[in-house]
Amino acid sequence: MKNTIIEQKKPFNDLKNTKFKSVLSLAKNKKGLFVLLTLVCILLPNMMTNMYYLGIINYMILYSILCMGLNLILGYAGLLSLGHAAFYGLGGYATAILITRYGFGFLPAMIISGIIALLFGMLLGLPTRKVRGDYFCLLTIAFGEIFRLVAQAWIGFTNGAMGIVGIPIPNILGWSIRTEVDFYYLGLMLLAFTYFTLSLLVHSRFGRAFIAIREDELAASVMGINTAVYKIIVFGIGCFYAGLAGSYLAVYQTTITPSNFRLEESCLMIIMVIVGGMGSLLAPIAGVIVMTLATEYFRGIAEYRMLIIGVIMVVVLLFRPQGIFGTSAFKG
Amino acid sequence: MSLLTASKIGKNFGGVVALNNVSLTVEKGEIVGMIGPNGSGKTTFINNLSGIYSPTAGNFIFNDEDITGFEAHVITGKGISRTFQNLRVFPNISVLENILIGLHCKIDISLWDVYLRFLKTRKIEARAREKAMKVLAIANLTDSHDTLAKNLPYGKQRLLEICRAIVSDPYLLLLDEPCAGMNPVEMDDLADFIKILQKRGITVFVIEHNMRFIMSVAERIIVLANGLKFAEGTPTQIQNDKKVQAIYLGDEGDL
Repeated sequence: MKNTIIEQKKPFNDLKNTKFKSVLSLAKNKKGLFVLLTLVCILLPNMMTNMYYLGIINYMILYSILCMGLNLILGYAGLLSLGHAAFYGLGGYATAILITRYGFGFLPAMIISGIIALLFGMLLGLPTRKVRGDYFCLLTIAFGEIFRLVAQAWIGFTNGAMGIVGIPIPNILGWSIRTEVDFYYLGLMLLAFTYFTLSLLVHSRFGRAFIAIREDELAASVMGINTAVYKIIVFGIGCFYAGLAGSYLAVYQTTITPSNFRLEESCLMIIMVIVGGMGSLLAPIAGVIVMTLATEYFRGIAEYRMLIIGVIMVVVLLFRPQGIFGTSAFKG
Repeated sequence: MSLLTASKIGKNFGGVVALNNVSLTVEKGEIVGMIGPNGSGKTTFINNLSGIYSPTAGNFIFNDEDITGFEAHVITGKGISRTFQNLRVFPNISVLENILIGLHCKIDISLWDVYLRFLKTRKIEARAREKAMKVLAIANLTDSHDTLAKNLPYGKQRLLEICRAIVSDPYLLLLDEPCAGMNPVEMDDLADFIKILQKRGITVFVIEHNMRFIMSVAERIIVLANGLKFAEGTPTQIQNDKKVQAIYLGDEGDL
């Protein structure tokens, strides 16, 4: 009888070994890695016990969407925008108002918020014709500040500094998004959407045109690229994703306030893009992870949080200016 | 009917007169050279023609169309391509990607197509890639197609810039001092390359300082001095023109 028990155990052990080996070999080939990562992403919440950590992951997914959009503007087209948070907040307010005041469903509200952010983003692309370089950067800061101040002052529409509260639980085709896990899956879908649509764009002649503008704007125009129009396009598309992210924020936080538009937010996004890497699609995610983990780790000494962020940025700019996964274009 | 007619072109920068009453024609299939001392207005002329500046006087008629004052990207769309005196390849992307940017106007894909018509986009992109590789083959750059442009030797970067300009099958190619920084062997290769381009039906307009190069390549030469058209003729005529020799005395141009 002992023999049979041992014999029964053996095939199971063999099975375990072969399963493990096949998982490893899957990881070695690119497509396999992709499948593996997808599986991990889908099963992640089941592996987590502490919802606080899932909250941090949700925060990172949100910022990844923001930073990938910003990377299109900064990394691919080479335009420094320090007003990105304005479109984040704009998306948030749009969704908040559409849902609480006009009874829109979450999905339509999110799409409209993205479009509103896109249209205002295109507005930011307009002055690049007359205003260049450093002066344009100041203009983007002003843009962001104007939005924040309007949100604060226009009490009748935006409820001023109090912001809009009590945004209800979103519902997409019957799926109620209420727990951290639900928001995780929503965020993941938005991130996947962001990645795939951006990938289509940057591998097309549009992506190449943005890169040409970054590399040498004069030469780009001589290639037949209408640089003024393309800059407007890149701002529109980059800010669209900020609008989507803002929409997510509105239902995740259930409130939206002018403090979501702050210049510090825009700066944090820029730092995340710089640290993660510019000009490469997924690179900003690395920056998001590094900066989020750093700020989480130093949460206890809140006054020093900004110092840590600053130190990380200086170190990156000194030793690897293109960021962790960035292209050589930014080597300095 | 000439391919290009420049009539009484004038260009002022504030009080400085860079071009003054310059008129010339370029016939289809020609290789025309433009020479002149430093500061005579040669690059300014090309900058006005290619749309980087707008002439203050006169006009350009190209393929029977008045293109004076059009923006650079529009003029490129009409079939005029150019290279730059100080080499403007896109440094941080590959040779192939540089060429593909040269095809920007010819790749007929809209944003709508990018997001919603994958098969059409993929097919057109593949065709563009094929065309780019063909042009690289003519210039013997196929092996370097994946190299970053900034990592290419200087002579090959110059060749890359020309390839990028011709991949869109322009009617007219403007070369602004293509020989700068080249050794004699590279210059001879370039002269041969330009003759190959002529055989492929591209009309070439070259600005150059290097006399030996211009004499070997151009069929007709226009001399610019102080913003004025000074002389015009065949290479032999220009070489023997005493007045032309005089304006080069005291200049670095070798005669």
